[in-house]
Amino acid sequence: MVYELQNLSVNYDDHAALRNISCTIQEGKWISVIGQTGAGKSTFVKVLKGLIPSFDGNYMIDDQPVIRDTKGRLKVIPEIGFVFQYPEHQLFETSVYKELAFGAKLQGYSNQQITEAIDSILPQVGLSEEILSYAPFQLSGGQKRRVAVASVMMMNPKLLILDEPTAGLDPLSRAALLQYLQQWQKQDKSRTIIFISHQLDDVAEYSDEVMVFHKGQLKGHFNACKLFLEKNELLEELELSLPEPVQLLKLVEQLCGRKVEVDSCKEREIFDKIMPIWHARGF
Amino acid sequence: MANTVLLGQYLETNSIFHRLDPRTKLLGLIIIMLSFLMLGTFLSYAVATFFVISILLLSKIPFYVFAKGLKPILFILMFTFIYNVLFTKGTVIWSLSFLEVTAEGLINGTRFVWRIVLLILLASILTLTTKPLTLAHGLEKLLSPLSRINVPVEQFSLMIVIAIRFIPTIMQELERILLAQKARGYDIAALKLPQRIFAYIPVLIPLLFTIIQRAEVLSNAIDARAYGNGKGRTVYKQLQFQQLDYWVGGIAVLFATTLILLELGGL
Amino acid sequence: MLTFDHVHFYYKKGQPVVEDISFTITAGEYVAIVGANGGGKSTIAKLMDGLLLPKEGSVKFNGLDTGIPADLAKIHKQLGFVFQNPEDQFITTTVMDEVLFGLENISVPREEISIRLHQALQAVQMEDYLEAMPHQLSGGQKQRVAIAAILAMHPQFIIFDESTSMLDPQSRKQVLSIMRELNQQGMTIVHITHHMDEVLLADRVMLLHQGRLIFDGEPYTFFETVPVGDYQLELPFAVRLYHQLHLTTPLTANWKEMITSQWSTNYKI
Repeated sequence: MVYELQNLSVNYDDHAALRNISCTIQEGKWISVIGQTGAGKSTFVKVLKGLIPSFDGNYMIDDQPVIRDTKGRLKVIPEIGFVFQYPEHQLFETSVYKELAFGAKLQGYSNQQITEAIDSILPQVGLSEEILSYAPFQLSGGQKRRVAVASVMMMNPKLLILDEPTAGLDPLSRAALLQYLQQWQKQDKSRTIIFISHQLDDVAEYSDEVMVFHKGQLKGHFNACKLFLEKNELLEELELSLPEPVQLLKLVEQLCGRKVEVDSCKEREIFDKIMPIWHARGF
Repeated sequence: MANTVLLGQYLETNSIFHRLDPRTKLLGLIIIMLSFLMLGTFLSYAVATFFVISILLLSKIPFYVFAKGLKPILFILMFTFIYNVLFTKGTVIWSLSFLEVTAEGLINGTRFVWRIVLLILLASILTLTTKPLTLAHGLEKLLSPLSRINVPVEQFSLMIVIAIRFIPTIMQELERILLAQKARGYDIAALKLPQRIFAYIPVLIPLLFTIIQRAEVLSNAIDARAYGNGKGRTVYKQLQFQQLDYWVGGIAVLFATTLILLELGGL
Repeated sequence: MLTFDHVHFYYKKGQPVVEDISFTITAGEYVAIVGANGGGKSTIAKLMDGLLLPKEGSVKFNGLDTGIPADLAKIHKQLGFVFQNPEDQFITTTVMDEVLFGLENISVPREEISIRLHQALQAVQMEDYLEAMPHQLSGGQKQRVAIAAILAMHPQFIIFDESTSMLDPQSRKQVLSIMRELNQQGMTIVHITHHMDEVLLADRVMLLHQGRLIFDGEPYTFFETVPVGDYQLELPFAVRLYHQLHLTTPLTANWKEMITSQWSTNYKI
């Protein structure tokens, strides 16, 4: 599915949260959304999910305007999954099974469909079957987080929005969650992830595209690597420092006085391209 | 949602009420509120209304702030009004099967609602022009004789500060959880009645959990900053009555006496 | 000086949260505490400040015992605690009141309060926000106010319990530089963190896993000798790069300098 916003503006009581945003979200991509606190990132993704009922501008899904109710307000869009910050705070059921079934039931899944969906999702987020009978509150922080994410994946969304999904997790739980998300997204060409993050190292490692927000405006929608390699002034304006691997690349380029071509801005790729240069210096 | 809760929404407009000692405001408010219980005749209502409006104007707080604050209690006001209109005996002026609207009911309903609105407007002046901590200091000072009989006055006043401080935070949290459950396809408004009775469980349980978590951190934070039992603390902003306080206090007493005389005189 | 002497802690008997931990932190140290979620880090921090009391063993700060109520009151005056969530630890309704709260608690004379108030807010660059209310401040600003509220009480020792984890990178940098500055002025700092690059800023690191103290020593030794992946941790970028390049020079946090100096010395003709 293709999601398209045209001239979108959102006004809150006393200020404009978003100003004149136009963008197209193609399927099959990992798109990161970056910007300072209060730049409009959260409002933007809430509009996509249909959580902000009234705004100016057009919202089209596959060239069709989204459905509005009789008062002209936008409805929640069911095929988009939305994982809030600290999603474990939304858990309330007495068992993990019920928690996972909660949203799916509301969408009219039968018990058998629910069991099938649970069987396929659990291994995808690295949870074992035995925890299904546990109360969510018995689980560790990282497990709770994954249950909350899985409960959204259960509804088989085409587009999955995540607002800082790794905040507060220890490093390996964080890396594991990101890898599960990536696997889930790559499994099906029509799946898209929209990922809000402050951690530019993660953004560089996982994204295909990056949208940059600043003071309610969309400053650009770039190929991820292009942003980090070519748009330094923009990042400086936003007081964001480059991911460390990219800083390394720039340093080496500066030291050897020429450009080093890379295919992506992932750490592995940059290390691979730098090693020959390093060896050539006699190490 | 968080903004519509008037309680604890201090607003800096630098009016004379902002400069008053909190004790003057508290005592004045109590005296005036008590006198409002006497309201009966049209004349006394008119005098009271005029008085409250003058106070609102003097506070320099924009009118929409008060209107916004009254919104959440609109339902209660309507209920009070309708209840009075339907259940007061008297001259029937309109009826539909067993429902009867009486002239006395209309008058009674209007009076009740009017009085509640006046009281709420007055109370909101107090919270809008007094910082919660100052208010708590004032309350603590007024209640301090009680601490001699081992009433934990200091802790009580801290409790009030915290309640006021965290109401907006908890409202925000509630909003967030509502939105999160809505995003999972849960829409309370769309449910049928028998289900709606349990509808708030997915919202209230998570809310309760986060409140408990917050309370734990907060109590740790208070301990960690050496609050102890609240005794023997320095008071940095000391309360002192100014000339203005005597004037305002005098006016409050004068006004209350006038109202009472008006009522007793049966004018 | 802070001493843990064979400290045990549990909520339910038979399910230890902290098991037989002993160590000493001397004045002026900068200690990082790391470990997986649920490994006992926060419990240790609360034990340090007497917010939790050991079930066995003792915790002493400058000879004062957290188990003795009279001592505990004195410990709270000398030991500051910055929590993870900037929202939950903001007790009062304005920045000024927040700093005053602690000062009033420890009975600082009125004349001195205003001096301390301004000094503390200046140290975290929040002096222009005296009347600001919590909802008008960003997470980073609230966290800086929390630090100011503690600094005003003139503690000797501050514990930061994942205080940077909810902040955006710019605010995180600010808070870290405040911490470093305080340490240089002689303050003892304990910093609990999930960010491995922050560990390299410390003089000493402790690894807690399932309630036990697994490692206690220098950060560089830690990353060279401990299989961090086994404890849900990862190597910081500087160390990953160091391994990748097979460097033999001493490991430093500043990898840029490391590379630049190597580049110029090791040129093959």
